[in-house]
Amino acid sequence: MTRNIINRAAALGLATLTGVALAAGDPVAGQQKAQVCASCHGADGISQAPNFPIIAGQYADYIERALKDYRTGERDNAIMKGFATNLSDADIRDLAAWFSTQQGLSAPRITNP
Amino acid sequence: MKTTLLSAVVLALSGLPSAALAAGDAEQGRLRAQTCMGCHGAPGMRNAYPGYRVPKLGGQHTQYLMDALNAYQQRLRSHPTMQAQAADLSDEDIANLAAYFSQLGNRR
Repeated sequence: MTRNIINRAAALGLATLTGVALAAGDPVAGQQKAQVCASCHGADGISQAPNFPIIAGQYADYIERALKDYRTGERDNAIMKGFATNLSDADIRDLAAWFSTQQGLSAPRITNP
Repeated sequence: MKTTLLSAVVLALSGLPSAALAAGDAEQGRLRAQTCMGCHGAPGMRNAYPGYRVPKLGGQHTQYLMDALNAYQQRLRSHPTMQAQAADLSDEDIANLAAYFSQLGNRR
């Protein structure tokens, strides 16, 4: 319970910092919906198989876009289409909120000007 | 001992993907990545339309990055800008870029 509150507070803080629209998903709900994702992407989004992307720490709006593109078939992947077809927009927002707030990927910085 | 086990797991996993893991040269990748950094090296950079942030690549799996670039090059994955960028890349470039981006970041 305490952890839930902390998670929600952290997500809110992040959403405020990054200027994400208020339609942000619920990371706690996302974690619960993410159980099926875990078999390939890992429970916290760090996949072990090198052909499945790490999604921990990825931008939430990019994850949302990817899932919606899988759902429509715009992004063509038989495995992901199967999962994304069953997701509502709210599910997608929640999943994106969960994985984007996990420790993982980073945006590379330009090191040599 | 733990390292040995880990190595065995990594070895076993690396045998799974069909593409051979010709290890790329991260330093060559860094030099080739100048164009990529215009978007992927600018934290929070947005794709123009539809609007979403350009994905983070730092710490991503080498194999996934290579798969993505190959898919753009073969136009199996849609994104006009990425298809155009990937069109000019050799297999060696792709391996080098993947090596570079995968070793960036502070992934645990």
